[in-house]
Amino acid sequence: MHSHWRKMTAQERRDAKTGYLALSPWMAGFIVFYAFPILATLYFSFTQWTLVEQPIWIGLDNYVRMFTRDPLFISSLKATTLFVALSLPLKLVLGLMLALLLNLKVPGMNFFRTVFFIPAVISGVAVSLMWIWFLQPDTGVVNTLLSYIGVQGPYWFWDLNWALPSVAIMSIWKVGGAAIIYLAGLQNIPAHLYEAAEIDGADKWRRFWRITLPLLTPTLFFQLIIELIDAFKIFTEAFVITKGGPLKATYFFLYYFYEEAFRNFNMGYASALALFLLVVIMGCTVFVYRTSGKWVFYEN
Amino acid sequence: MRRHLARRMLVVVSLLLLLLANVGGVGAQDPVTITWWTLASSESPEPAIRAVVEAFEAEHPHIKVDVTIMAESAYGDLMNTTIGAGEGAPDIAYFWETPWLPHTLDITDRLAADPNLSRDDYFEEYFNNWAVWNDRVVGLPFTVGANFVMYNRDVFDEAGVEYPTADWTPSDYIEIATALTDPDKRRWGGDRPRGPFRAVWRNIGATKPYSDDSTTVEGYINGPNSVAAYTWLWDLVDSGATPTPADIEVLGTEGTGPVDLFIAGRLGMATLNNGHMITAANAGVNFGIVPEPHVPGNERFVHAWALRASIWAGTEHPDEAYEFLSFWAGPEGQRINMEIGALIPSLPAVLEDYPDVDSDYFQGFMGVLNATQTAEWRSSHPCWRGAVVRAVSDAWDLIMLGEIGRDEVQATLDAMVEPAQAALDECVPRLGG
Repeated sequence: MHSHWRKMTAQERRDAKTGYLALSPWMAGFIVFYAFPILATLYFSFTQWTLVEQPIWIGLDNYVRMFTRDPLFISSLKATTLFVALSLPLKLVLGLMLALLLNLKVPGMNFFRTVFFIPAVISGVAVSLMWIWFLQPDTGVVNTLLSYIGVQGPYWFWDLNWALPSVAIMSIWKVGGAAIIYLAGLQNIPAHLYEAAEIDGADKWRRFWRITLPLLTPTLFFQLIIELIDAFKIFTEAFVITKGGPLKATYFFLYYFYEEAFRNFNMGYASALALFLLVVIMGCTVFVYRTSGKWVFYEN
Repeated sequence: MRRHLARRMLVVVSLLLLLLANVGGVGAQDPVTITWWTLASSESPEPAIRAVVEAFEAEHPHIKVDVTIMAESAYGDLMNTTIGAGEGAPDIAYFWETPWLPHTLDITDRLAADPNLSRDDYFEEYFNNWAVWNDRVVGLPFTVGANFVMYNRDVFDEAGVEYPTADWTPSDYIEIATALTDPDKRRWGGDRPRGPFRAVWRNIGATKPYSDDSTTVEGYINGPNSVAAYTWLWDLVDSGATPTPADIEVLGTEGTGPVDLFIAGRLGMATLNNGHMITAANAGVNFGIVPEPHVPGNERFVHAWALRASIWAGTEHPDEAYEFLSFWAGPEGQRINMEIGALIPSLPAVLEDYPDVDSDYFQGFMGVLNATQTAEWRSSHPCWRGAVVRAVSDAWDLIMLGEIGRDEVQATLDAMVEPAQAALDECVPRLGG
């Protein structure tokens, strides 16, 4: 590093200094708001800490408890994994479908794009309260509509079998945000590829499979990672609507973390839970990244 | 020359001394500033908070109160972080979390020496449960709150059912609720409890979830009294006379109780609190109040609460902080809040002047204020709230969802013993028993 610096010209050194100067606010933010808290979390995960007393070093006890004698850890992990498995494909597929619709050349499309994007910027708590009303068993919009076609709707959030799917269905609400990203990807696909395919006699379906989808895979890859991380962080819906129930059906990992940290004053254990989630998300992200070489296609 | 120097030195030293004395004199006249973190509510709205500060500062010109009115969502985090850091916590605040209590100033001696305020001035149950911790006085109870059953007289009259009386039993509750229920009018007779081991649980047989010494779950959570209480809940759910959790969640918008359903006449009886009582009175509902039902011969319990107004142990101004605390949570401060807000004071002498004190419903409310409180046990067992209740919540959900038969209640509670014991064993070394 030092010898490299010495080999640089005066102009290169000035450019490097300007570069570091420009980077410094972000670096400072990263160190203060990310790196330090992560390191602090690592330390606290080896302690028993009630938040208001001094932490007591207990070594690996929190991790031993987590992996050997904590049924709630298993319940919360199971509920979160099921939610990820349900909501992730749903959001990816519906987001893409919506983007394809929003990419049509019809009058007033900008209005529709705006309308579909609005839910993505509405507060999670407000959305949760609204969905309580949508899915209320007796008077809710969904069950009322179902009753018109002779279907008795379920108890949704308050039904053992429907609570988790209800939260997954609710996550579709924000699909407009994903659709806008897909839309940007769709509009970057060169038109001449479609023109060539059309001349060769390819129908719409074939054009989608042979051109649109392969060239959209970089966007899909990005969306997959973002949505994966987002799905693992599911919290607000459990906090506002279900309180983790019924029967722990929606007892998501972050909700468990929250209860341990701020209701049970068990910040040491909560830190261990947080680190575990970090490792799981990192593991999934690395896995997706490693497999991306086989299914993500870049134009060049 | 030397004499000149000595004279100059003397003048300089004299001037310095004069200056110091003067500075000290001005300092002695400076008022002491104490910090107060509080929350605004309908009981204690911002104008009442400001009025308390104004009245106190007028009476105590040597003390300034620096008040911060906080959002409830941020309050807990700020208290946790400042108490944990050992600096920055307010001199005066609500100390409502049990882990905060070791960080309160012991005011036992100050209160005993106070010529204007005594523990006897407060409702005894509220003082003992909310101001005393580990045999020391850690604060003063500010306001009183309690659960009780409100019954809608019009609904009763229409159904031709007699009003409940204070000696009613849990079985009476189900019977009356069933008689009031009218599916055609989309009306339920009564609501469901919002958690186990509250008043009805205690009234059925002094039921506790684990032993007083916080060591044993077996024989408590699955003991005969607990089984009787959970079976009562099963019968209530099975009766169809109560709204489901979904109905209450959506149609009862108060969060802590279905007061909207009650006011709309869709719920004949509801276990509500004094805030709801005032809401219903303002809405012109014709209602009465009775304590929660209990089994004859057993002690009667009430699920009740107060806000614990305390002084932070790290305060640099304990005397001034006490002066303010005894004003704010004493007769003057609670009276101001009662007159400007909707506060129900924890001092019987002040409560006598409450606007609706002679009304029938308020007299019913007064009837529960001296009952033994569930907090007597719960407040000294912090692991119940955070850890053990969660471990046994499946039993509650199974009954609420109608997923088990009546004869399965015992087995269900037996299955809860192991997770509850594990939760208790983990929690007690951390939060105490």
